[in-house]
Amino acid sequence: MREGRLLRGVHRTHTGVHPALESVLAAILGLLVGAVIMLLWGYDPWQAYWALLKGAFGGFGYEIPTSVARGVPLILTALTFSICLRAGMFNIGAEGQMYVGAAAAVTVAYLRLPYPWHLLVGVLLAAAAGAIWSLGPALLKLTRGVSEVISTIMFNWISRFLVFYLVAYVLVDPRQAQRTVRIPFSARFPILVPGTDLSAAVYMALGFALLVYFLLWHTAVGYEVRAAGLNPTAARYGGISIRRTVLLSFALGGVAAGLAGAATTMGLPPTYAIISGLPDLMNLGFDGMAVAMVGRNHPIGILFAALFFGGLNAGGRVMQFYGENPVPLEMVRVVMGTIVLAMAIPELVRIFPALVRAGRALVRRAGPAQGEEA
Amino acid sequence: MISAGARERKRDGYFLRAEGITKVYADGTVAVRDVTLELRPGEIVGLLGENGAGKTTLTKILSGLLPPTRGRVVSPRGPVRFGSPREALDFGIGMVHQHFALVGTFTAVENVALSHERPLAPLALAATRAGLERLMAESGLKVPLDVPVEKLAVGEQQRVEILKVLSREVELLILDEPTSVLTPLEVDELFAFLRRLRGEGKSIVLITHKLREVGAITDRVVVLRKGALVGDVRTADVTKEELAQLMVGRAVGTRAARAVELSTEEIPAHAAHGAAAARGPGVLHVEGLTVPGDTKPVAVHDLSFDVYAGEIFGIAGVEGNGQSELVEALTGLRPALKGTATIHGRNILGLDPRQIYRLGVAHIPEDRWRLGLVLPFTLAENAILGVHRWPQFRGPFSVLRWGKIHAHVRSLIERFEIQATGPGAPARSLSGGNQQKLIVGRELAKDPAIVIASQPTRGLDVGAAQYIRDILVEMRDRGRAILLVSADLDEVLALSDRVAIMYEGRFMGVARPEELSRERIGMLMGGVRG
Repeated sequence: MREGRLLRGVHRTHTGVHPALESVLAAILGLLVGAVIMLLWGYDPWQAYWALLKGAFGGFGYEIPTSVARGVPLILTALTFSICLRAGMFNIGAEGQMYVGAAAAVTVAYLRLPYPWHLLVGVLLAAAAGAIWSLGPALLKLTRGVSEVISTIMFNWISRFLVFYLVAYVLVDPRQAQRTVRIPFSARFPILVPGTDLSAAVYMALGFALLVYFLLWHTAVGYEVRAAGLNPTAARYGGISIRRTVLLSFALGGVAAGLAGAATTMGLPPTYAIISGLPDLMNLGFDGMAVAMVGRNHPIGILFAALFFGGLNAGGRVMQFYGENPVPLEMVRVVMGTIVLAMAIPELVRIFPALVRAGRALVRRAGPAQGEEA
Repeated sequence: MISAGARERKRDGYFLRAEGITKVYADGTVAVRDVTLELRPGEIVGLLGENGAGKTTLTKILSGLLPPTRGRVVSPRGPVRFGSPREALDFGIGMVHQHFALVGTFTAVENVALSHERPLAPLALAATRAGLERLMAESGLKVPLDVPVEKLAVGEQQRVEILKVLSREVELLILDEPTSVLTPLEVDELFAFLRRLRGEGKSIVLITHKLREVGAITDRVVVLRKGALVGDVRTADVTKEELAQLMVGRAVGTRAARAVELSTEEIPAHAAHGAAAARGPGVLHVEGLTVPGDTKPVAVHDLSFDVYAGEIFGIAGVEGNGQSELVEALTGLRPALKGTATIHGRNILGLDPRQIYRLGVAHIPEDRWRLGLVLPFTLAENAILGVHRWPQFRGPFSVLRWGKIHAHVRSLIERFEIQATGPGAPARSLSGGNQQKLIVGRELAKDPAIVIASQPTRGLDVGAAQYIRDILVEMRDRGRAILLVSADLDEVLALSDRVAIMYEGRFMGVARPEELSRERIGMLMGGVRG
């Protein structure tokens, strides 16, 4: 049974369809619904999707590198969600942890170091900031029993306005008040394809995804995290400390989100800074949750899902300029939303037999009124 | 004020009759076998039986929660068939379950109103309150009406549950082990109230395994054993000894049903074996152990015992008498209140499960799905639960040695005859017997000094159950100490070298199985020291 090795840990769902195929079907369904909506609004879906496809994957010189670059932060924020989900928790906090990571990365501008070390220090600062920020909800959960869903959402708002403040008053560039100081050359991820946004940050994201895969499926620590996520009672019986797995998965998720912050500052030309209002960061944490779902919360699946979502983002920009009646960018978000909804269909399939049974029971109750049967 | 229905019942002499009820569950278990039973107004019937005797299944059929496989329920008005508990309630049959169906954050009034609610109708809180106040005055059952029920004592919650059912004007009230959560004083109050209900002409069924209660309150006793009705007698005409005998079974004309069980002839055989193998040094020493329960403040009271190498120490008793809490305390899953417990002289209280396993404890848990296995995990992943940090499975940097783990699992599959496609198969795909073999294999691979086995054969077919029992005996013969907790009396008696009978957190007696008659054991299990 070697073929299944790579996607080990992706569990079959109720439809009986392979989870990877299920994700593909959800994506196709999302695109179809998008097409129907475009038709209703009088756009030409063929033309729009053709533009989107060309814009996303039409060439190696610009389109594909751009799609990959768009996927890089999504890989990392998706990992944040997935690591915690594997440990049995809903961590909605990637967004805020990423903001804090980005702010921490910008602080390297005040340091003077030679090239690879300066970059490394920035990455480590961002990772540490993300991890520390994620410990808030983790500790609240462990000490006070606060639901991580609530606390991570609240921490998102705290970090959002904290970083707004930092950008406006602390890290601000005295000459360019709309953004922070720029990250110096010695702390920037090298650009891999000139003229595109694709930087060496992609290696960091890939490496971290592989590291998470190895950690979860090839170490005793990861084994404990997965056991605690699937059956906490059995995990306790197995001598596993749930406290430890909660702390560890939150911290690791925070590191991933912090790295996403590093990728979107130290690896994002041309600004290499945080712009006031955080336009380059906004929603990447939330989109990461969609990527995690489509990627079936598996590090390898996430890589493919992030490429797909990155392509949608990159291609969507092209779509809105293409032809005489271009389709607005918002349509791409409709497609993304539909895909996420379609991912919930396996659950519907499970509910469906229950509905059928309930219907039959109703008929049976009405039945004896008509006539007694043996 | 006698309703038309009541007059009708008076004339016919019964309220409800179960005729030839048989219930076969989807997995083939026969829970109830051809039971015929009549319930009359103004009578309290005790329904007596061991765990798994079919008491709850029978009452669920009577109250409309389950349809019978064969047989029918008849009232003087003709056959009745309930599609839901609500229909049964409309007919006048109410059941108070062991586990209350109350919304914890709602008050008593809200809970009762909720039970009356029809979909989409507004909650009639004011009317419900008035009704409840009248009912409390009539019945003498007092509960605080405006406190969330989760803040009430368990006895009060039960009263809310009873009021909920009474508020529907029931004629037949079924109570499932109502006293198991009550203090003695609360039991007295409950019984006084039930007598009053009887005086009003209601029919009452009391499910219990406590012989004392049967004698104290019932008019008639119905005894179930292995799903079959083995006794239906007036309480005044029967002694506790006779009831105990009926309950645990001994030549009561059900030979056929007993053919699949361990034959009683096997008991001396095993015991002789145990006597031949000299008892070794003490392994587990427990002294004054007091353990809290989930619903009761104390589930295990001041318990002291020793388990020696080369013996099986069995704990018999009806479930819910503190056995689970005792095992959990000994395996690091539940903190103890008082007392000491040592393995080879080293304290184990306060340690976490992994530290306890290190001291040579293997734990076969009572619930293999909740505790013993992570069902979506593969066999390999499940085979290292609890030992995943041992050096033979874990290399440097915490890296798991999957190669060695898989080899280990393959040897387990072979040695314990586990039917599985391989180490990579999910544990979920295995049958219950093979899942249990996997757990047993994993635990015995720890090379333990003591095996704590809780309900190790529950739910297994005869072959798998016997296989597990043979392994436990083999471990005993190889000089290991075994602590066996089982609600299956035949099993405990057949395997154990010494048996303790546990009742309400205490040992009623410890003896060699051959020193105890089954009547005596039945009495002890029912809380009668005699």
